[in-house]
Amino acid sequence: MVMDIFERSQAARTSILNKLKQQVEGADYSKLPAEKGFCYPQLPVADMLENFVEHLQANHAQVISVSAENVYQVAINQLRERGIEKLLCGKGSVLAEPLQATLDSAPEQTLKLSIYDSHLADCKQEMFYDMPASISSSRWLIAETGTLVLWPSASEPRTLSLIPPVHIVVAYASTLHANFATLIHNNQWQAQMPTNVLLISGPSKTADIQQTLAFGAHGPKELIVLLVNDLI
Amino acid sequence: MTVKIQEPEQSESKYAETARAFRQNVKKDLANAELRENFHGAMNYLMAKRAASFPSDDELETLRNQCKLIKQRALLKLPYLLEKLESNLQANGIHVHWAETITDANEIIAQVITSKNGKHIVKGKSMVSEETALNDYLHARDMEILESDMGEYIVQLAHEHPSHIIMPAIHQNKKQVADLFDKHIDGFDYTTDVDALIGEGRRILRDKFCHADVGITGVNFAVAETGTLCLVENEGNGQMSSAVPNVHIALTGIEKVVELLEDVPPLLSLLTRSATGQAITTYFNMITKPRQSDEKDGPEEVHLVLLDNGRSQAFADEELRQTLQCIRCGACMNHCPVYTRIGGHAYGTVYPGPIGKIISPHMLGLEATKDLPTASSLCGACGEVCPVKIPIPKILQRLRTESVKVHSGSPDELKGAGSNRKPMEATIWKIWSFIHKHQGMYRFSMWVATRLRGLLPSKLGVWTQVRSAPQLAPKTLHERIQARQPRG
Repeated sequence: MVMDIFERSQAARTSILNKLKQQVEGADYSKLPAEKGFCYPQLPVADMLENFVEHLQANHAQVISVSAENVYQVAINQLRERGIEKLLCGKGSVLAEPLQATLDSAPEQTLKLSIYDSHLADCKQEMFYDMPASISSSRWLIAETGTLVLWPSASEPRTLSLIPPVHIVVAYASTLHANFATLIHNNQWQAQMPTNVLLISGPSKTADIQQTLAFGAHGPKELIVLLVNDLI
Repeated sequence: MTVKIQEPEQSESKYAETARAFRQNVKKDLANAELRENFHGAMNYLMAKRAASFPSDDELETLRNQCKLIKQRALLKLPYLLEKLESNLQANGIHVHWAETITDANEIIAQVITSKNGKHIVKGKSMVSEETALNDYLHARDMEILESDMGEYIVQLAHEHPSHIIMPAIHQNKKQVADLFDKHIDGFDYTTDVDALIGEGRRILRDKFCHADVGITGVNFAVAETGTLCLVENEGNGQMSSAVPNVHIALTGIEKVVELLEDVPPLLSLLTRSATGQAITTYFNMITKPRQSDEKDGPEEVHLVLLDNGRSQAFADEELRQTLQCIRCGACMNHCPVYTRIGGHAYGTVYPGPIGKIISPHMLGLEATKDLPTASSLCGACGEVCPVKIPIPKILQRLRTESVKVHSGSPDELKGAGSNRKPMEATIWKIWSFIHKHQGMYRFSMWVATRLRGLLPSKLGVWTQVRSAPQLAPKTLHERIQARQPRG
């Protein structure tokens, strides 16, 4: 009788693991050499923030310094400049209410706030063909590489930052970490990994044709970072 | 309803045949000036980018040592980490499958797709899926599978396979890509403008992402500690393939597992800088669970397929095991004088360049790949740039030895060992070795050789096709030194 492929998978598991164990069973891990990481110089926060911005800009993100009160107005202005009249925001996102309030306070604005409140499967067509921009928050920032760390959730789904061609991210300087290693270590990610974590360091790009850089390969063509310096 | 699945085929990979044709492939590709220009330009670009991203030698060396040790630790614990990865993934709700052969891996994937009534599949970049020739397998079962990485998309349109593991379409220039689009895409407005070409690819592939039922990707690091699959990319197609369709299938080799989440940052830093000179890629995607009940996107089902395909053979030998430290950055090929000249397709294997020469013998056997380890000047550049310090030149020499040794038939022997052994060559070396071990015989034979030097033929097979024959001196070195040094 021929084994079903999933039964064969179990047989393969046993066979592979046995072959490997035969080689390393009883290995003495205490003899493993010590691993030494590179000691990066500790920079003052202001320098870290500067590095963060420089890296993002070098990767063609637009970084705009804003005050905490101004964030939503600046986002709206950026979209108006681009002639964009619809902005997607997560349902229950911390950004949703203040954005709506800002829009309501100026009735002449034409921008419509669209709320991501159904399953992607039920709004795919609109997401892919009729959603020019989105806005999301970021949980942490990484100075060394100019990286935004997104922690997608029910209120800010991961495709929010992926499908619309323009993506606006609100970033707070107080969430800045020197590098990825310290970020994981200091916040003990091991104990709290969510469904999905995304590190974003610029708009989508490719150099697959003759090493020529082109933006907007599959994800957003533009990444706009609204940076609130809440350290001062 | 189900696709009729044939008996498991134990047929060899289609790449065995193309690897056997190595010498003919090289001859053909060396004569292609346009191809050579494309590779030459691209390798110079990638080497300069890498160098610029490592301003401090001290940092580079510390990172290389650290990452070598991280991967060696992961390999020493490999079976236990695989078990841990599996149990953590399962606890997170991700299905885990195991495959010893490429056919089994393909069959598992086809079955998962069939069980979800899938027809339209998008694939992010995955070299392991090239290894299994997954596209051919699914096509034959009437499924549409589309490559979504721009380079892979181009390669698929051209009915080729990647010529570089990081930049799959590096062998084509923009004019060639434009001609390809013109031939295959209806209504394509001819242009060689790269932005417009990428825009065209984006338009077509977005439609596919929107309608795909299943997404397939590779894995860059699989973290045992947390049961997390990490994907490194710039384009966003990996995210599109893993977040938009209702089913995500990740396919990877068993050596991609790392022990700890904190092992990831140094490996990621070295990977992207070694590969393309980027401090980090645009996207780094960490997947730990399928869609949870309150979430609005992401796949309902996530599957991981773990493939052996010869890796356990490499694992069984401590020297060759180092091959499995590879993080697939491509720096060895970018710096290889042979790869730069012959290009990626000439190797005939999925993985070209120095890493391809040392990993392919485990996947395809040494019989099909016996020429590959010899296609090296042993200049050492690959070993010097390797981010995880794989001693590639040493392993090349080891594989040369394996390919010419006496075939013993022992089960520990590498598949295809001894297949490059030639009786005449072996006899000559035996005589050479005997002479050099016996002083009197050595002196006598040297005396004879120098005296009869006029009889040495001027044509010595392939050696003299492009070189002049070596000339023996009239007297041996021993004789000349003796003549020069007055006794006493």
